[in-house]
Amino acid sequence: MPSIDTLIVVGVMLLKVLIIGGALFCAPLPLTWIERKLAGRIQQRLGPHRVGPFGLLQPLADMIKMFVKEDIVPAKADSFLFKLAPILAMAPIFAIFVVVPFGPDITIPFIDYKVSLYITDMNVGIIFVLAISGLAVYGLIFGGWASNSKYAMLGGMRSTAQMISYEVAMSFAAVGVVMMSGSLSLVDIVTSQSGGFLNWNILYLPVGPLWFVIFLIAGLAEMNRIPFDMPEDEGSLAAGYHVEYSAMRFAFLSLAEYVAMVSIAVLLVVFFLGGWDNPLGSLIPILDYVPPVFWFMGKVGAFIYFFMWLRFTIPRYRYDQLMTIGWKIMIPLSLANILATGMIKIYADYRITDVLEMVGLKLW
Amino acid sequence: MVDIIKTVITRVLFLDFIKGLLVTLKYTLSRSITLKYPDHETWIPYERFRGEHKLHRNEDGRELCVACELCVAACPTDCITVVPMEDETGRRGINDRVAKVWEVNLVRCLYCGYCEDACPTTAVRLSRGFELACTDLDGTIREREALLTESPIPEHYEGGVVVKAKYIRKLIQIKPELWKQKDWWPAKPGRSKKR
Amino acid sequence: MEQLFFIGFAFMAVVAAVGVISLRNPVHGALSLIVCLLQVAAIFVLLRSPFLAVVQVFIYVGAVMVLFLFAVMVVDLRRVELESPFNARGIFAYILAPIAVIEIFAVIFVSKSFDAFTTVATLPTKIETLARVLFTEYLFPFEIVSVLLLVAMVAAIVMTLKKGRS
Ligand code: SF4
Ligand code: SF4
Repeated sequence: MPSIDTLIVVGVMLLKVLIIGGALFCAPLPLTWIERKLAGRIQQRLGPHRVGPFGLLQPLADMIKMFVKEDIVPAKADSFLFKLAPILAMAPIFAIFVVVPFGPDITIPFIDYKVSLYITDMNVGIIFVLAISGLAVYGLIFGGWASNSKYAMLGGMRSTAQMISYEVAMSFAAVGVVMMSGSLSLVDIVTSQSGGFLNWNILYLPVGPLWFVIFLIAGLAEMNRIPFDMPEDEGSLAAGYHVEYSAMRFAFLSLAEYVAMVSIAVLLVVFFLGGWDNPLGSLIPILDYVPPVFWFMGKVGAFIYFFMWLRFTIPRYRYDQLMTIGWKIMIPLSLANILATGMIKIYADYRITDVLEMVGLKLW
Repeated sequence: MVDIIKTVITRVLFLDFIKGLLVTLKYTLSRSITLKYPDHETWIPYERFRGEHKLHRNEDGRELCVACELCVAACPTDCITVVPMEDETGRRGINDRVAKVWEVNLVRCLYCGYCEDACPTTAVRLSRGFELACTDLDGTIREREALLTESPIPEHYEGGVVVKAKYIRKLIQIKPELWKQKDWWPAKPGRSKKR
Repeated sequence: MEQLFFIGFAFMAVVAAVGVISLRNPVHGALSLIVCLLQVAAIFVLLRSPFLAVVQVFIYVGAVMVLFLFAVMVVDLRRVELESPFNARGIFAYILAPIAVIEIFAVIFVSKSFDAFTTVATLPTKIETLARVLFTEYLFPFEIVSVLLLVAMVAAIVMTLKKGRS
């Protein structure tokens, strides 16, 4: 019989998994609404406005539609893989959130129980994230192949090539983050950037901004969004790898896409924007009372908004351009940047606040 | 040289991207041109608009139409049918004549307004009704009784505006609330709405 | 408890490995190989080396298998499935496979390095230690492996170049 303490630890862990999993499952509901509203605003339309106030219930209506539609498996499809693919696409992306820290430890009042706002703090967190996010591509490959359709197959192939190409650049960017922060654990990466926005990795001059841009572009390519949404290029591939999917399985695939978007936003925040760190440090005392989770969510939300904004602003790249950017620009650039980061780490490891302090300026 | 430096700066700082993003941001903040037609807002056309026909009466409530069939003659598509009625008193003054049948086929009509021009008593006038959708072909023919009803938009109401509308479920009808005008798309300076 | 997990993972790994060589559909075979590699990664976790586990998933499952699948997917499946597994080219395999198995068992039973079961818990778990060892003590083999891989890569590129186009 395990002791009460162990049971409590396991219980809290389960609770955290349930909360995060549930939140991620529900995240696409508001996100689709926001995305469609934003698309409307950018194109001077209204977006959904019929179902519920401001069309807020539109995602629910869509969900009901997805539930009751007929679930079609093409006759000559490989039905086992066809049914497995949506789960394969979804599971790895959910698994990323196992290591994501949402905030510092909090103490529950009255019972004085300390809860950490992450599920686990792996000492190999960042590699885990990269490894797991790399698995998401199987959903696309198998989905595309099992549909037994040329469009789906080509979509799957494209996404495979694209993800492999950009995973290299993304991993290099992660290496850059590890070098800047000096740890593989996501919690340590966040704490290493604490103390205001001047300490964030994005402002680790001169290499920080470059890593940020590399990670951002690679992340956009990894989650198959415009401008890199080759796998579902309507013009040439109908709908790409999910052209044969319908009803719930299609819903799962698009759920996976939305959660991937959230995960990239979360990773950007953790790696470059100091996670839950208060941007103004303790410059404005009142801001100290804002819960850190709020900052985290705010930054993630800003990135999600940015991704959507981007989607309705720029067209998609051609396939050869995509590969050129990946192999001929991003990878050499990140290799050079690794060298530069290493040099700086050895010879001039200063953040902006350090420099300011040296000239006698103390902000906070 | 200056050009090269400029290009490099543009590329490195993603200035073109930012420019594009600003364009869409401007649109995000601008107003939407979509109307919540028909049950929240509706567009009232300008006065010159030629829509569904209406037959009119004079101040005493008498029908203006004298069944002279000039509109029939003028109509290029032959879509008006007028059959005059002679009342039982036998008097045949032009003022007393009324139409027994006055119907117009709205599917064949091309809304040219010739009938309106041809009418000596200005009985037939094209109103601003444009919601002519119907579920069967019978609905495309307007009889005299229907044509004699008043249009929801008065003749002298100045159009070119968006007004609030209400959906009346019982009548399956949209009722524009003409006095509740909405400032829809701000008129460009120098292009006044008033004539 | 740990034993139980180990048996579970090992059993799954063996089942998946058998699946790799017995399934007729090459894509299904690749899927079982993925399952097998994931089980091995899980066993690495049981051995207290999460780094190896994650790297296993990262390199093998995340990259190598994707490339495998990429090649397998363009294969004409109907032809592959019709082809008999007992053909002339297979003869070498049938000779070499038993030899390889015998070799593996011989190494396991003869070599001394497999006696050290007790040292598992004392293995370095910190990545720093691992990196230090890799880049000092084993630097030379490490570099040789890198050069070998580079050569293989260049060779692959050269082989795909069409003749006649300089
Ligand atoms: S508007 Fe023109 S086409 Fe229509 S009824 Fe009048 S004359 Fe005929
Ligand atoms: S509507 Fe005018 S033109 Fe036509 S029959 Fe009547 S009076 Fe004559």
